[in-house]
Amino acid sequence: MAEIVSFERVLWGLTVFLKAGLLVLLLYRRNYRAFPYFFAYALISILHSAVLFESYRLWGFNSPTSRSIAWGSQGLVILVRALAVAEICRRVLARYRGIWALTGRVLLVTAGFVLLYSWAIARGSWQFAILNSDRAVELAIAAVIVMLFTFAHYYEVGVEPAVRTLAVGFLLYSCFFVLNDTILESRLHRYTALWNLLGTLSFLASLVIWNWALREKQPEATLAPEMLSDAVYRQMTPEINSRLRALNDQLNHFWHAEGKRS
Amino acid sequence: MSFFLYLFFGLVGLLLLLFAWSVRNPRRPVTSPFGADVLEEDEPGHLAYLPQIQQALAKTDYEFLAGRVPIRVQRRVRHERRSVALAYLSALRGDFQSLLRMARVIAVLSPEVAAVQEFERLRLSIKFAWQYEMLRMKLLAGFAAAPQLMSLSDLVSGLSARMESAMQELGERAALAKELSSSLGRRGMGAA
Repeated sequence: MAEIVSFERVLWGLTVFLKAGLLVLLLYRRNYRAFPYFFAYALISILHSAVLFESYRLWGFNSPTSRSIAWGSQGLVILVRALAVAEICRRVLARYRGIWALTGRVLLVTAGFVLLYSWAIARGSWQFAILNSDRAVELAIAAVIVMLFTFAHYYEVGVEPAVRTLAVGFLLYSCFFVLNDTILESRLHRYTALWNLLGTLSFLASLVIWNWALREKQPEATLAPEMLSDAVYRQMTPEINSRLRALNDQLNHFWHAEGKRS
Repeated sequence: MSFFLYLFFGLVGLLLLLFAWSVRNPRRPVTSPFGADVLEEDEPGHLAYLPQIQQALAKTDYEFLAGRVPIRVQRRVRHERRSVALAYLSALRGDFQSLLRMARVIAVLSPEVAAVQEFERLRLSIKFAWQYEMLRMKLLAGFAAAPQLMSLSDLVSGLSARMESAMQELGERAALAKELSSSLGRRGMGAA
């Protein structure tokens, strides 16, 4: 256990170093203009580390005060992380007004549903309230990222490599956090040290990914395509859908006719 | 407790699988800034071969062959025609996908889309994919006769005129946008 704690300290130092590196990259490459919420997340995250470090130094790692500060400030970090993910969604789809209006609503509903579901199926005890909320938000973030890329794939919308890499960093961290929280919930005390270590490792991996993604300057906003007139969608889409429906009906008739014959 | 453990592991696994599927082998984006040119590549292709397909699938041929040639030859003919039917079915799927792609491009480039239409199309594509696979398996197993497939082509060809006009409009807008962009670029260079 003692080895884990000392190894974790090294990793923690590395994490702070990478966070600082990320902040420098965001400032030096002026990427804070392209990703203002991600910049806010990186900034708050490094401030969070400083606050945690001070609280551990003053009150000790296992003191109730340190624990309250750690969990309390975690709420702010998660909120800014959620905003940074929303920024990624906006960056990918907002250029296309029509589908953005639709998919934005679907993503919001998905996030809300996953939050509620995750909360509803979790343990009822207040002891686990923060842990459950944390897991619910992380699962919602992961679900939103996956839905975003599914939409992008469906509509064949190109995603900038840097944006995709940032999203991968968020997704891996969120998925890992959900699993970690679940294991922690089931084996609470025995697992704490290892849980902290694995959590730090996964965050470290995400930081490396984000640093890689922002190693170059990113454009503030990509040029939106020329839109069609409203009439094209209103006229063409129902007709295409009715043709597709008819094609389906034909396949269906063919299937049933063959079924009768055989 | 292990139920929750499995449930969350399952959820995360599902999310990661879905993510891997959505980022794998990305298709060329239809929505490059002036990307309407993609539409020009996706015209239905199988229609040009329709007369040959019709001839290959004609029922009268089987009637003519019955009793005139050995069973072995008849079987071979059936086998070859089944291959033609499969190829034709596959071409129909291509046409279906082409229509879908057209609809997606229109949706992406439209300032307003209707959720009902979008979800209806999603439902139809899932249904088509399922029925297509079922039919294909039936054909492969030798249970389905091919001629009925012919009627499907009419539905696809009926749209071609409307598609052409839409493509023309998209092309004109793409050209206009390109011109605007290059003139802005020239102006920018002049200012620099």
